[in-house]
Amino acid sequence: MVEAAGFQLEDVWVRFGAVSALERVSLEIAPGSAIGFVGPSGAGKTTLLEALNGSRPATTGTVRVGGRALRDFGRRELRETRSHIGFIHQGLDLVPNLRVSQNVIAGRLGQMGFARSLGSLLFPSREVLREVYAILERVGIPEKLFEQTDRLSGGQQQRVALARALFQKPTALLADEPVSSVDPARARDMIDLLTRVSREEGLTLCMSLHNLELARTYLPRLVGLRAGRIVFDRESTAIDDGAFESLYALRAPTDDVPHPIDRDEPIASSQPRGPGEVRLDGG
Amino acid sequence: MAADGIRTPNPVGVRVILITSGVVACALAWGALGLGLSDLVPTSGGLSLAGRFFARAFSPAWQSEARFVPDGTPPLLEVAFEATLQTLILGAAAMSLALVLGLALGFAASSAWWSGAGPESRRGVYGMLRRSFLPFLCGASRLLIVVMRSVHELLWAVLFLAAVGLNDLAAVFALAIPYGGVLAKIFSELVDEAPRESARSLRGLGASGLQTYWFALIPRALPDMVAYGFYRFECILRSSAVLGFFGFPTLGLYIRQSFNATNYGEVWTFLYALLILVVAADAWSGAVRKRVLA
Repeated sequence: MVEAAGFQLEDVWVRFGAVSALERVSLEIAPGSAIGFVGPSGAGKTTLLEALNGSRPATTGTVRVGGRALRDFGRRELRETRSHIGFIHQGLDLVPNLRVSQNVIAGRLGQMGFARSLGSLLFPSREVLREVYAILERVGIPEKLFEQTDRLSGGQQQRVALARALFQKPTALLADEPVSSVDPARARDMIDLLTRVSREEGLTLCMSLHNLELARTYLPRLVGLRAGRIVFDRESTAIDDGAFESLYALRAPTDDVPHPIDRDEPIASSQPRGPGEVRLDGG
Repeated sequence: MAADGIRTPNPVGVRVILITSGVVACALAWGALGLGLSDLVPTSGGLSLAGRFFARAFSPAWQSEARFVPDGTPPLLEVAFEATLQTLILGAAAMSLALVLGLALGFAASSAWWSGAGPESRRGVYGMLRRSFLPFLCGASRLLIVVMRSVHELLWAVLFLAAVGLNDLAAVFALAIPYGGVLAKIFSELVDEAPRESARSLRGLGASGLQTYWFALIPRALPDMVAYGFYRFECILRSSAVLGFFGFPTLGLYIRQSFNATNYGEVWTFLYALLILVVAADAWSGAVRKRVLA
């Protein structure tokens, strides 16, 4: 098993031109812990996840993976690091007209040269196929090994995406709204699977979720985001309905002051905020 | 501006202007050529020739219609079969070369595999090379593609005939160059327009540009590429037949000879042979596409 990766964000800003997608975000995510990002659409959840594997670099501030700042990584190192961070996207993002086995094997593209990846995708060895089969068994769809991926249902494709991430021999799993396209029963199933597998493998799990009930049930720690800023960062048992309601309210609690953290907000924790406060022991 | 503050769109929009100017341009072209319906009335000689020619459509020749047939001349149907086979062989050889050219140049002319690369690829010497060399390669390939396909295959054939004389390789190149150019253009456009999510997610897990191109972008564009490739194969069979007019031993050669000798029945025999070839190619492409791409 690969050692789990931890993440640290220090005063991270991500700007697109004049617009800030993330503002002064500081977070510490311990190796092997599980954390959920909640908040309304456009709050910066996806940007935050993308900042964690460096596909969206911080405009200012520092993102550290495994204790090292991403900006110090060379091209090769960054590729290597990414190749061990699974990312499950909102829109599936598998290659629809490849087989399930090929999509899963593609998880290791970042760890192979071009010639080897060509061989491995077109003529996978028995050994590799056995490995893929074992992972598909784990996510519950071993019988789909050679099926064309776009013939699978949305829920099954989501499992293929998880299988691809697991095939990476990941140190962390990032999941962006992984259940937005499936019905509630399947959503619960998938979140259950995701959290169980990451726990068994000892992986760090960062997931953004719209479904607050699922978030609270399955993730021990939740970070609320609104307009690119962290509104709360607490153990999920300590978050009441009021906090969620104001997080998702169509208007900010008071319109004249745009940033809730700057003020004594009912939804923000009354404790002083800082990198130390957001640390979660155990998880 | 309407009273309630809703601006009504201008009825004379860009689309109206474009369509009107298109229609006007067509009308001007007809006018410039001085075309009139009177040009369509044939001369009496032309009419009788056309009549004799089309009359044979229902009675193609089964054997040679020549008054003098030299000894050792194979029977007409065998000639037709041989010419059809030559047409197919030339078409297939040229198409295989065109496909290689199309895939290679299509890759070089496509921007999808490097323009979407992550920020890390902009750093350092490698990043500088990438930023200068890849756009240059892309632009140069696009220029080459334009040159290849803006010259028609018949003109390429004339050029090659003048340069190297009547040989099979000249015919293959004359077809493969313009067809390769068109395939490269269409392939690169299909790939650049294909959805990018899968490519982006492979990038996210560390895949290189080359890997992303071949394992995410090409597979997504493949059904359209295969369909277009088959369509072009059909076209290249017709072009291969027409190259016979220059003396290559494909159907065109025999069509011209028989036509000049006013053996219209033979002309129809060869035309039907071409028809059968194209229909067979179409049936084959349909079967393959159904099996591979369903």
